[in-house]
Amino acid sequence: MITIDPEAWNVMVSHAEATFPNECCGVMVGRTENGVKQVTGAVAMENAYKGVQEDRYELRPEDLLAADKGARAEGLDLIGIFHSHPDCDAYFSKTDLENSCPWYSFVVLSIKKGKFDHAASFLPNADQTAAEKEDLKWQKS
Amino acid sequence: MAKVLIPTALRQFAAQKDSVEVSGSTAGEVLNALATQFPDLRKNLFNDEGKLRSFVNVYVNDEDIRYLKKNETPVAGTDTLSIVPSIAGGWK
Repeated sequence: MITIDPEAWNVMVSHAEATFPNECCGVMVGRTENGVKQVTGAVAMENAYKGVQEDRYELRPEDLLAADKGARAEGLDLIGIFHSHPDCDAYFSKTDLENSCPWYSFVVLSIKKGKFDHAASFLPNADQTAAEKEDLKWQKS
Repeated sequence: MAKVLIPTALRQFAAQKDSVEVSGSTAGEVLNALATQFPDLRKNLFNDEGKLRSFVNVYVNDEDIRYLKKNETPVAGTDTLSIVPSIAGGWK
């Protein structure tokens, strides 16, 4: 299960709505205790995809490396990645799966007509052939 | 021995260590030694054919080994290796 604190959730939704109709991306940091991932912070990142961003996103490895170092410095873990699906449901697409990594939770935010609609979290496998849905809870401020 | 920074998500497979000192004169040797020391890391880094998984990027200091000599990139005892995934996607 992954739970997202209000402050982090606000960062994620604000970033997803602000970048609409393009896809957004970013990372989630926090701690894992007794199998529950607690997201205490989120960092909005630039979509580095070189092309139309309405249906694609890409994180720069350099940005991820910096985020991991930042989490490490605060005694936190980089727990997950978030991105948005503009005017589309929060599923894990073939493109998402084929460009994923099994080390993180992947939270997808559905943004419809510029406003948050719903979200889901996924756990892809190492072979990038399947992603299990993960229980997701968030708290609004 | 080179220093390998363990991504926070992979610490659970490396005895909760932040970093590990590993022997090896190339990036490939260092990564293999790391996976030998921590077998649970191997499946996260390498596929069944023993090749680095497609989503795994390795940096020696601040240089991506894909733009150096890949697995044959020389590594000195003062170098630090970082492991960083490639992540992208899209709804289509």
